[in-house]
Amino acid sequence: MKILRYVMILGVFMFAFSFGTAFSATDSIVIGLQGPITGSWAYEGQMAKQSCEIAAELINKNGGILGGKKIELRVVDDAGEPKTGALAAQKLVGQKDVVASVSTYGSSVCEPASNIYEKFKKVNIGYGVTAVRLTQRDFKYFFRTCGRDDSQGRFFAEAVKNRFNAKRIAIMHDNTAFGKGLAEDTKRALKSSVDAGSIEIVYYDAITPGEKDFRVLLTNLREAKPDVWYFTGYYAEAALLVTQARDIGITCPFVGGNAAINDEFVKIAGVDLAKGCYMTNEPLPADLPYPEAKEFLAAYKAKFGDIPSSPWPIYAADALNIIAYAINKTGSTDSTKLAESLRNDIDGVPGITGPIGFTAQGDREGVPFYLYVVDEKGKIVVSK
Amino acid sequence: MNEITPVKTKHLLSQQNMIILIVLGAFVAYPFFVSNYFIDIAFFFGTYALLGLSLNIVLGEVGLFDLGHAGFYAIGAYTTAILNTKFGIPILVLLPVSALAAALFAYLVCSPIIHLQGDYLLIVTLGLGEIVRLALINNPFDLTGGPNGVFGIDFPTLPGGFVIDSSIEFYFLIWIIVGASILGLTRLQNSRIGRAWNYIREDEIAASANGVNVKNYKLLAFVLGAALAGVAGNVYASKLMCVSPESFTFWESCLMFCIVLIGGMGSIPGVIIGAAFISLFPEIFRPFAMYRMLVFGSAMILMMMFRPGGVWPRKRGAVEFRSLIGTSRSKDA
Amino acid sequence: MEIFLEQLINGLTIGSFYALIALGYTMVYGVLKLINFAHGDFFTLGSYLGYTVLVFGSALITAHFGLWGALLLAMMIAAVSLALVGIIVERLAYRPVYPAGRLPAVVSALGASIFLQNAIMVIWGPRFQAYPSKLIPNAHLTIGDIHISLLQIIILLMSFILMGSLYYIVQKTTFGAAIRATALDRDTASLMGININKVILFVFTLGPALGAMTGIMVGMYYRQISFTMGWNYGLKAFTASVLGGIGNIPGAMIGGLILGVLEMLGAAYISAAWKDVFVFIILILVLIFRPTGLLGEKLAEKV
Repeated sequence: MKILRYVMILGVFMFAFSFGTAFSATDSIVIGLQGPITGSWAYEGQMAKQSCEIAAELINKNGGILGGKKIELRVVDDAGEPKTGALAAQKLVGQKDVVASVSTYGSSVCEPASNIYEKFKKVNIGYGVTAVRLTQRDFKYFFRTCGRDDSQGRFFAEAVKNRFNAKRIAIMHDNTAFGKGLAEDTKRALKSSVDAGSIEIVYYDAITPGEKDFRVLLTNLREAKPDVWYFTGYYAEAALLVTQARDIGITCPFVGGNAAINDEFVKIAGVDLAKGCYMTNEPLPADLPYPEAKEFLAAYKAKFGDIPSSPWPIYAADALNIIAYAINKTGSTDSTKLAESLRNDIDGVPGITGPIGFTAQGDREGVPFYLYVVDEKGKIVVSK
Repeated sequence: MNEITPVKTKHLLSQQNMIILIVLGAFVAYPFFVSNYFIDIAFFFGTYALLGLSLNIVLGEVGLFDLGHAGFYAIGAYTTAILNTKFGIPILVLLPVSALAAALFAYLVCSPIIHLQGDYLLIVTLGLGEIVRLALINNPFDLTGGPNGVFGIDFPTLPGGFVIDSSIEFYFLIWIIVGASILGLTRLQNSRIGRAWNYIREDEIAASANGVNVKNYKLLAFVLGAALAGVAGNVYASKLMCVSPESFTFWESCLMFCIVLIGGMGSIPGVIIGAAFISLFPEIFRPFAMYRMLVFGSAMILMMMFRPGGVWPRKRGAVEFRSLIGTSRSKDA
Repeated sequence: MEIFLEQLINGLTIGSFYALIALGYTMVYGVLKLINFAHGDFFTLGSYLGYTVLVFGSALITAHFGLWGALLLAMMIAAVSLALVGIIVERLAYRPVYPAGRLPAVVSALGASIFLQNAIMVIWGPRFQAYPSKLIPNAHLTIGDIHISLLQIIILLMSFILMGSLYYIVQKTTFGAAIRATALDRDTASLMGININKVILFVFTLGPALGAMTGIMVGMYYRQISFTMGWNYGLKAFTASVLGGIGNIPGAMIGGLILGVLEMLGAAYISAAWKDVFVFIILILVLIFRPTGLLGEKLAEKV
């Protein structure tokens, strides 16, 4: 019996051994994709995976890169968790044939992951990571195709003045890395107006994500009598908040951040309550005017039945596309060359989400924001 | 199943010792043959092993239901994170500091509740673990970075300038710590303290009637368990270079609980195997995507059905690593 | 004052959810000394079953039974199904583990919980599902300055009826006496001629059934359900049952209601972010001074 136990331990190691070597490369260029395929953001992760598949297919159909080589996508699940994120990055870094990675969704997952990519000098491009600090670390190999919280915050501050003419603002976040970050950036963006006395932030508090009942919080908000209410969290809580808010008599306009309103939100809150809700968002897939977008969405719809309902998968596709572009441009798969090219040479390259270029810190240049609204029929359209 | 009587021999080349040597050899050789990814997995295996050992003191030896152990882990990790990023104190110096912080916390909060029985203690420790996590998220005094956590943690540097910054170095770091803990805990098991603990677990009233200071021993168990968890937190923080509250949820406490029970309460080799199960199982079954957790849950149930004592139950009085480290021979308790 | 009353009603509504779920925990614990971690997932499963019935049968049902009929039918289907599930889980996951003691049962319960939760995810998908908003009453009452929704009133009414019925069964009927006897001392109860298996059957059917009905109520109240919601509710409900004295059925009801109200008050007057901390601190304080919970009995320890 004792021997059996020792054998078990050794068996575990031998099993692990057998997983040791990475798969050998065929005549293709491997690009990694790291994302939350399982876990609480499985919804986003799976769409991102599908997006990258389409992007790769389109490139391969058009002749591949570097003289006809096909792109192969290698997907690693990071389950939306920091620790697994680190492991996933480590996995992709360890596979010698992976040239660069599209990684990832979720700023708190991206933080440890990008640390690893930077250490091993591998290009990684984030697609759903908006925390400002990610590009404040002087990293050479990290980029992102999505925008940042501070630009969204500034956009809301503008909208507040121009669109809503509001004096009393309520800001609510969900204590997550993303939500709180966006709320803080918004507060910062409003600071000058607050100091000048034209705007007052009458409410600033957080919900606990995963909770369902916010009536107490909302009562406090109601008593603060805001002119407009900005919520920077995710759609699940947003739907709950709106239904409960209307239930207890809050009538001011509700504006969600870019994770707060999507088709799920409309479904859960019901069209009656969802209509008239606003959102600050990067352009939704359906609203992208570029020819690349049309081509991409048509292909996506053909394969998966409908276009993606959130912008992040599109950023993932753009990330893959820009990596392919950089490989072609530099004519090499060397990480350092790619990083330099992305940083310095690439500018105004047409992409699905518009012209792609990166700042010196790796941020995406020129991400526009729109104000969206849910219309009578429950569709999310650009607000006029 | 036939119980093999413990080999009471001091023979250096006994079968038992040879097997131990082989296992040690495998541990040492492992990282040289696999990629960084697998070394990292083994690192997290080591972390869970250390956490399992720490909870084993409380749950396995003394039989105290502790479902909030992740709280101590978190305190160790955050102490390291905050003191390192704010004051630049080196990581290795912070290792005992984190252990101390967690131990102190355990002492302070467990003293008033130590008299609670069984399931009530369970819910209170659960509550404590949650309080720690919620407090971390809410960023009191702007210390903990809220849901973002704390980032920018350094790597440990050994005196002489050697920086531990690669997967393989971290692997050895954690497993050396685990090894040292195993040695220490084994000695503790055979000491007066260990026997008092087991006595309390088996029959608290009889122990008390026989002059064992139940309250102090229980508190000692919590304090030591917390200290060890704090050490795990320190190494974890340094490896990931950032800490966030998501890593210290109630679920983690549950996993630690399962490690101890699946491995065998009070059994040190059992805890290691339990940690292997808990950390490696989900990784090995990753290809099965959604279904792997179904298998995991069923496996737990099946384990308890067929080996409720754990994979490697503690045999009363037997000392597994006797000959190599020359501990005293213990009488059957 | 009005706000306080509003919050109170909110708190009672949430509290009745906790109370009903806590009943499941406490009944099982009382009789078997087992913490059924899978109970939160029974609650979730009930909610999902209700969702399925309502969404896929909505046209058919509302034509025949009307709105309320649809809801009641969903509740009955969910309750009966969960009663079955409860028995199956007990037979498969718990019964074989009883001889091993209490701690292995905890691990088994955790395993069952993981299994159920992921089974729900596999069957219904990881996304949130929404209860059809057309089937949920939207009406409001405004008494003075207080906003109450019709739904809240219905829920409170239903909960109190359910709790009242259970209280009656347990305190006033013979079978209820048998349950209490088993909770007190299983071996003596069986020596007295009480059919323990029947009692176990009862707690494992009624507990999950209650949980299922609560699940539907939660689905209606919040309109959205996810496969992980059992975890959070289970935790709070378990806390509630300990607060009231675990194993004690009126205790679970009171514990749940108090917990709900405390949570609301904490959120309103202290801070929303710290409300859970507040609740746990209260729990710990209560247990320090009343180690067996509010209504728990101090049992003499046998030596």
